[in-house]
Amino acid sequence: MDGSVRLDEVVMRFGDFTAIEKTSLEIGSGEFFSFLGPSGCGKTTLLNIISGFLTPSEGQVCIGGEPMASVAVNQRPTAMIFQNLALFPLMTVFENIEFGLEVRGVDKRKRRETSERLLELVALEGSGPKRVTELSGGQKQRVAIARALAVEPRVLLLDEPLSALDLKLRQHMRAELKAIQRKTGITFIYITHDQGEALTMSDRVAVMSAGRIQQVADPMTLYREPATGFVAAFVGENNRLQVGVIDQEGDRVRLDGGALGELTGRAGRETRLANGEAATLFVRPEHLRPTAAEAAGPKFDSEIEAVHFEGAWVMLETRLVASGEKLRVQLGHEVLRGYADALGVGQRILLGYDPVDSVVLRDDGSPVLDADTGEVLAGRQAAAGEEHV
Amino acid sequence: MFRQLQARFGGPLAMAIVTLLGIWLIVMVTLPQLQMIEYSLRPNLLPAQVGGPDDRLTLTNYATLFSNDIHRSIFVKTIWSSVLVTLLTLAVSYPLAWYLAKIATPRQAALCILLLIVPFWINEILRTYSWFIILAFRGPLNELLMMLGLIDRPIRFLNGNGGVMVGMVYAYILFMVFPVYNAIESLDDNQVRAARDLGAGTVRTHRRIVIPHAKPGIATGCIMTFMLAAGSYAVPALLGSPGSRWFTQIIYNWFFEGGNWNQGAAYAFLLLVLCIGFMSLIMKIFKVGLGDIGR
Repeated sequence: MDGSVRLDEVVMRFGDFTAIEKTSLEIGSGEFFSFLGPSGCGKTTLLNIISGFLTPSEGQVCIGGEPMASVAVNQRPTAMIFQNLALFPLMTVFENIEFGLEVRGVDKRKRRETSERLLELVALEGSGPKRVTELSGGQKQRVAIARALAVEPRVLLLDEPLSALDLKLRQHMRAELKAIQRKTGITFIYITHDQGEALTMSDRVAVMSAGRIQQVADPMTLYREPATGFVAAFVGENNRLQVGVIDQEGDRVRLDGGALGELTGRAGRETRLANGEAATLFVRPEHLRPTAAEAAGPKFDSEIEAVHFEGAWVMLETRLVASGEKLRVQLGHEVLRGYADALGVGQRILLGYDPVDSVVLRDDGSPVLDADTGEVLAGRQAAAGEEHV
Repeated sequence: MFRQLQARFGGPLAMAIVTLLGIWLIVMVTLPQLQMIEYSLRPNLLPAQVGGPDDRLTLTNYATLFSNDIHRSIFVKTIWSSVLVTLLTLAVSYPLAWYLAKIATPRQAALCILLLIVPFWINEILRTYSWFIILAFRGPLNELLMMLGLIDRPIRFLNGNGGVMVGMVYAYILFMVFPVYNAIESLDDNQVRAARDLGAGTVRTHRRIVIPHAKPGIATGCIMTFMLAAGSYAVPALLGSPGSRWFTQIIYNWFFEGGNWNQGAAYAFLLLVLCIGFMSLIMKIFKVGLGDIGR
């Protein structure tokens, strides 16, 4: 059963608005693949194109190698789990799960066998005769999964299905979804704006912004080797400093930090920077450390503005003395031990980082995110792409 | 109810509202009905005999319907035709309601609703007359069909029940469209999408998802249409032929031509009982309660 999905130069326009720029992508059979991006980036539109609810303006979708252009929604080997689940409220759990089989003319006894088996898979044995309105949020979630799996899809499409659940349940369902995916071997295509979900569950993630795929990679690569400034800022937290390039040797770049003096960073993968080019240096909060004045490597003299105790770590908000830019610093307990007295608001701290942990990227005009809210500030405005569908 | 009104409007105004409502219910609705029941249970007597020995309670007026073959058949036909009118109206209204609720853009829907409502600014008699003209032997509909070559000679649409049916479907379509529209409108689009996604075609999606959801609206529409059809006088009087008399016309005749109010009252009461019975039956079939209809 080939559950591979291929997008060939797919473009989606709504009137003058281009929701999806020309996109080509291959998703392997049995892969857990996520589309991650802020709302309005076009990820739901892409999901609707794969499921058949939308017909792309250009290009085509192939599932299992077969073009889907002339295959209607109800004939496609896909099943969708909707954001609001869309369970049928007037039916029992059994009837919900068996709906797709009833449509296919499967006889009653066979249908019941399948639904019993699926209820077992999602750990809801015995809930079959209940009405879906009697179930809790997590149980409804499982019924929705079972209902979609009942039609034995080659590709399961999930449209932010966990967004309605509370935090604890959401984390639990992540593990469960992943386990179900492994057990069934079905291709999962998962849409989310929550990077935690995308990173923990996926084999590969496509980060999207403003109708364009910014990077496709496994979660670890995405986090360590962001290809664009957008990915660096959107996935995980990152401090960004505007710098000029002095020169590059291998992946090591000497940078002109203006008031901060000379800095060193590591060039992003496959990034060749010209001397004098404008660039951005990204250093993650967990890679900044208090350091001694005589230690080697780049150092930032900064003042602590706020201290947030988060349990497993402490998050410092600091301001660079030289330039006034903000830096966020995440310190684990093993570092904190020696600095218990030095971390008051208003105190000065010398921060250093290992250049290997940093990333230098060219200013490529990709959208810039607000560090506090995660909203897109510059670049093409992500407009109402998802309101059209 | 009084408490709620009092909290909202204060004592005196609440009292006034309740009093007016009470007067309306008792004087305008209940008493005339009781009067009719009273009439229906007494024989039709000369004024001199009223209060005399012959003026006693009797069920003869009700028995008349069952002994008079013609009246009985018209009674049955009225029920049957009203059921047909109801089904026909539903068949026309459901696709329209679906279109308005789920397919049309807001602009299209607004325009369509306006077009539906505008004719109802005109008096019912005039509207019915316009159908009389359209359906006439030498009327525009026959002209059009002949011009298109669909028929060779004009059809007598007004001969029999056809004209009455068309007129009634037209007269009561709004009473069906709006409740059904309201019910369909409240259906989550994702329900329909989910059904499609799971492989259901159009017919099954409607049968299993949309219609069960819209059931209270459909029941409300059916009840209203049936009541109006069974109690209609103008449409059968204007568009009907002698062969398609409606039971309301018989009642009218008893009152205004036969001068037998007692007999007319009995017939009217029987029609009322029938309508209530039908309503309960529909509600039972569709498994809807009175509360659902108010929604």
